[in-house]
Amino acid sequence: MTNALTCANLSKSYGGVAAVRDVGFTIAPGEAYGLLGPNGAGKTTTISMLVGLLKPDAGTVVVGGADLSADPMAAKAKIGYVPQEIALYPDLTGRENLRFFCRLFGLPRREVRGRVAEVLDMVGLADRADAKLDTYSGGMKRRINIGAALLHRPELLILDEPTVGVDPQSRKSILDGLERLVADGMALLYTSHYMEEVERICHRVAIIDHGSIVAEGTRHELVELVGGADRIELTLDGDVETALAKLRGLGGVTEAVRTAAGSIRLIAEGGRYLLPSVISTVDGIAAVTAVEVVEPDLEATFLHLTGSTLRD
Amino acid sequence: MLRSLLTVSALELRTRVRDRTALIIAIIVPVAMATLFGVALGGDDPPLRATIGMVDLDGGEFPAGVRREVLASTELEGVLTLRDLPGREQAQSALDAGDIGAAIIFPAGFSDSVGAGEGGQVGVLTSADTPLAGVVANAVVDRISSLVRARTLAVRASLDAGVPAAEVKEFVERNGAAGPALTLENDPMAGGRVDLSVYYGAGMAALFAFFVVGASFRGLLIERKQGTLDRMRAGPIHGWVPIAGKAVVGFVLAMVSVCVTWASSVLIFGSTWGDPVAVFTLLLAHVLAATAITMLVASRARTDAQADGVIMVISFVAAFFGGSLVPLYTLPDLLQQIALFTPNAWTTTGLTGLAGSGAGLASVALPIGVLCAIAAAAFGLAATGFRKGLLG
Repeated sequence: MTNALTCANLSKSYGGVAAVRDVGFTIAPGEAYGLLGPNGAGKTTTISMLVGLLKPDAGTVVVGGADLSADPMAAKAKIGYVPQEIALYPDLTGRENLRFFCRLFGLPRREVRGRVAEVLDMVGLADRADAKLDTYSGGMKRRINIGAALLHRPELLILDEPTVGVDPQSRKSILDGLERLVADGMALLYTSHYMEEVERICHRVAIIDHGSIVAEGTRHELVELVGGADRIELTLDGDVETALAKLRGLGGVTEAVRTAAGSIRLIAEGGRYLLPSVISTVDGIAAVTAVEVVEPDLEATFLHLTGSTLRD
Repeated sequence: MLRSLLTVSALELRTRVRDRTALIIAIIVPVAMATLFGVALGGDDPPLRATIGMVDLDGGEFPAGVRREVLASTELEGVLTLRDLPGREQAQSALDAGDIGAAIIFPAGFSDSVGAGEGGQVGVLTSADTPLAGVVANAVVDRISSLVRARTLAVRASLDAGVPAAEVKEFVERNGAAGPALTLENDPMAGGRVDLSVYYGAGMAALFAFFVVGASFRGLLIERKQGTLDRMRAGPIHGWVPIAGKAVVGFVLAMVSVCVTWASSVLIFGSTWGDPVAVFTLLLAHVLAATAITMLVASRARTDAQADGVIMVISFVAAFFGGSLVPLYTLPDLLQQIALFTPNAWTTTGLTGLAGSGAGLASVALPIGVLCAIAAAAFGLAATGFRKGLLG
């Protein structure tokens, strides 16, 4: 089966400084692929090369079998691009915006009306279709921003932080809609600052840092990279130093550090099962006022691989 | 490709119509400009009208001959009105009161002095408030001076040849009125009688063309800022479509704007711009050059505000050096040479030539050619700029 996207050895430099180095990955039809990286890691440059806004210094991009440099029209016709900003006309209505992009992208005149109505239904904005965009809420704008990329029924939807600044209800609506698109066979390339979104909808994830992909795989594979240890966050009231020394000797604990005045972080295999032992160890030395067990996740993996949190 | 282009153009035009900028810049401002210049500078009236005082302290044949020649001159018909005044003081008073624009004073004994081959001096009074009348008066006096010099030379030659002085005097007086008709040697408008409302109307149209097309390219940079340009370019269209779509609308609106200025001037004030085909072609070439130059600015600008500022500066510099704001002939020679690098100068010169004569398209082939060359050069540089920037 032809991949929805194959990119290989993509590189781009600005004034001798490499923004993207040797980036390559594939996305299968019906697969959601996440691209994670801190600010300045090269995500936007990579996406710009994938949608044809930037010419790569090296490398190839093939979309649904069409080479982007050799046949850009055919390749671009298979891509739906959702930019981070609301890239629509605020003084036009939602329907007028969608109609404009239908015509611009060459949809046959007789299909325009139907496609616009279909997309408006898809993003839940049929009842506000004839209101000007600048009267829409932030969440509605985000939804129609996505809708405009779906008009020509692309094989691959590329979304650059599509939920920035939206309320939880709109975020849920957007993610539900994207899951339906993936279930219907559309491929997704998704970047977000919200790790939980990526964990929810992406089958595979690549972590990009300093212009290169430093890890790639399913959520499980990536988490395995930093081991399966749980993190236990303890807040104590009492002799914290003595408690820390005792906990370092507890079987199963691989790391114990003081993180604040009364706080200790433990890294332990199967930490959630170790919790009763942890509490009894500090009993009589300090009172446990709060405890949190954090299972290994992408956030931890990301931190481990890039040295920063995603929102830095 | 064509459908995408028309889609972008239609949206741009719709946006400009909705926010009323199209109506303002294509219709209201041109009509207002033509009306303003028509009312202020002419319309049906000849452009140069001067009342000049004549003080004849001589009472001889020469001042009478000048008067006859001035009144008989087809070149000065309707331009110059003579008012007799008894003396220099009265002339100065009339000048100060604004009753006359300038005065020519023939001193006592002037005709005798010229007839005797001794030459003579004619006085001129002018006022800073009426510079055009001063130009006319000085032009008349320059012509008189030429005649005096010629006659003085002829009288001296005759006397030297032994012709009796009485015969020479009689000969001069008999032929005084037979001299060539006076003409304005310092005609301030190249090409003869040009309606100033046409001159400045054309100049303003040339200037405004830059603003009209500039607005479209500013829109392109705003689209870059709001992300719609990238959204378009990410779609299955040629990268040049958004740029060309904007350019087409800017070009068309600018053409409408200059043509409305032209039509208003002709239909409301009866001004004569010359051969319609030649005028239209010249305006077309000017708008093409203005489109290319503003496109070049847009291709290099980082923001819409920067493009706005640069287009404003270029427009006014080109308008100033190109004679859209002040007549070209008033500029020093060096600046007149610099003016040749502006489209406005070629457009203004071409339109002035057409308005002042019955010439056709062939007479403005050079200005049209230069304007097209400017357009081609600017389009080329703009294409390079866009490839490195917006389309890079």
